[in-house]
Amino acid sequence: MKKILLLTLLSVGSLFAQVKGDVAVPYISYEIKMGKGFDSIQANCLMCHSFGYVLNQGPQSKEFWHKKVVKMITHFKAPITKEDVEITTNYLFEHYGNGKQK
Amino acid sequence: MRRRDFLKTSIAASAAIVGTSLSAGTTHQPNDTREVSKMAFPEKRPLITYSDRPPLLESPRSTYTKQLTPNDEFFVRWHLPDIPTHIDPDAYTIHINGLVEKELHISLKELKNDFEHVEVEAVLQCGGNSRSAFDPIAGGIQWGSGAMGSALWKGVRLSDILNRAGLHKDAKFIGFNGKDNAAYYETPNFVRELELEELNDHVIVAFEMNGEDLPYLNGYPLRLVIPGYYSDSWVKMLSNITVTNKYKSLFFMDVAYRVPDNECECETPDEKFKTTKPITTMNVKSVIGYPENGMKVYHNSHIVVRGVAFDDGHGIKDVMVSTDDGKTWEKSILKKGSSRYAYSAFRFAYKPEKYGKVNIMAKAIDRLGNEQPLAKDVKWNHGGYKYNGIDTVQVEVV
Repeated sequence: MKKILLLTLLSVGSLFAQVKGDVAVPYISYEIKMGKGFDSIQANCLMCHSFGYVLNQGPQSKEFWHKKVVKMITHFKAPITKEDVEITTNYLFEHYGNGKQK
Repeated sequence: MRRRDFLKTSIAASAAIVGTSLSAGTTHQPNDTREVSKMAFPEKRPLITYSDRPPLLESPRSTYTKQLTPNDEFFVRWHLPDIPTHIDPDAYTIHINGLVEKELHISLKELKNDFEHVEVEAVLQCGGNSRSAFDPIAGGIQWGSGAMGSALWKGVRLSDILNRAGLHKDAKFIGFNGKDNAAYYETPNFVRELELEELNDHVIVAFEMNGEDLPYLNGYPLRLVIPGYYSDSWVKMLSNITVTNKYKSLFFMDVAYRVPDNECECETPDEKFKTTKPITTMNVKSVIGYPENGMKVYHNSHIVVRGVAFDDGHGIKDVMVSTDDGKTWEKSILKKGSSRYAYSAFRFAYKPEKYGKVNIMAKAIDRLGNEQPLAKDVKWNHGGYKYNGIDTVQVEVV
């Protein structure tokens, strides 16, 4: 009887303690296209955000991807080198581009 | 070849790939093909999932049969990847500073005990909701129509907090900051800045959503609620309120969440409009919750078309429904929410008398006479903001 009572208390307790203790946000594994420049994507992009963020922009022009990378430097202060700007832009356009330069 | 590759790998691309050679921007029905993921995030049921860091979750169409969006179905949108994974409600405080008579640190407990509680039922919608309707594809998450929800928010008036701190005479702007952080220290915080004039008594600092603590992913333990405004201003895990007399330039205010500053708020992909303005208040919109695209319904059966409609707080006058591709429209039955910022739920009795494919369309009209345009008549803008086309679902009568 005591046991049942304790169990009931515990389950009620967990119902109302909505955010007590750590919350774990799950990790998702995205289908990523491997290719030239991916190391640079991993080092420069995935430090800050998931691959889903890239995927879900939709297929875009080379200019779009270039501007996105530059935005990460200008506005979000990501330390991306000049060389990596080109490498990441090319990777993104090759795998997630719409075939258009502009 | 390229096209096929996209379809295989990109979750987002499906609807938008067709017809990209147009130079004028066009719009169509937003993507409605995505399914909820198998994985559930904390305090959420499985939702359409775009990203884990930051978490981006969309509600499925069935959510919009409900006038109040259940907390575990409510969409999620964060901007910065680093969200505190532990919050101690006994230690949480909110800091009020800047041009105030007395700087305040108010604990969560004090906020709940020392201030009058108020409630407002209000729609929270992302400015980029339905972005997948735009072609060429507008940059940003390719949301379907599920980046919105409505809840009963309970909290305290922002004005009561500001009055307790005492505003200086030259106070003009209020900046709001939450506890989410970027990976780099130098990255700007997601701060919102609003003019004092914009903030009325309906603006609250909320600690409850639909009678429960705010879910972690919706901003536990405190978030700003600005009824009628798009959600970019509803700062989550609110921790700091700063009063200033000068507008501070901020990325999320000055670059993101802006539309062309002209009457149609539109532009063409080749010729973007030079000046922009913040998206601020919401336009009139409705979404059908039932039936859903691709469903089969029986001939001569009794269907109840259901959905929700809202605007920026002027209130919904009617939701019209058409089952003949927009040739004729009939009034649905409306059920108003408890505030003018809430969803109006609509119901429409429909008896399919013809076999084959039928388009069911819903069009909301607000008290000012604003009505939703057809999907194709929504004007293009580069950020893919403020889409409010007439929602259409196609069913098959068998």
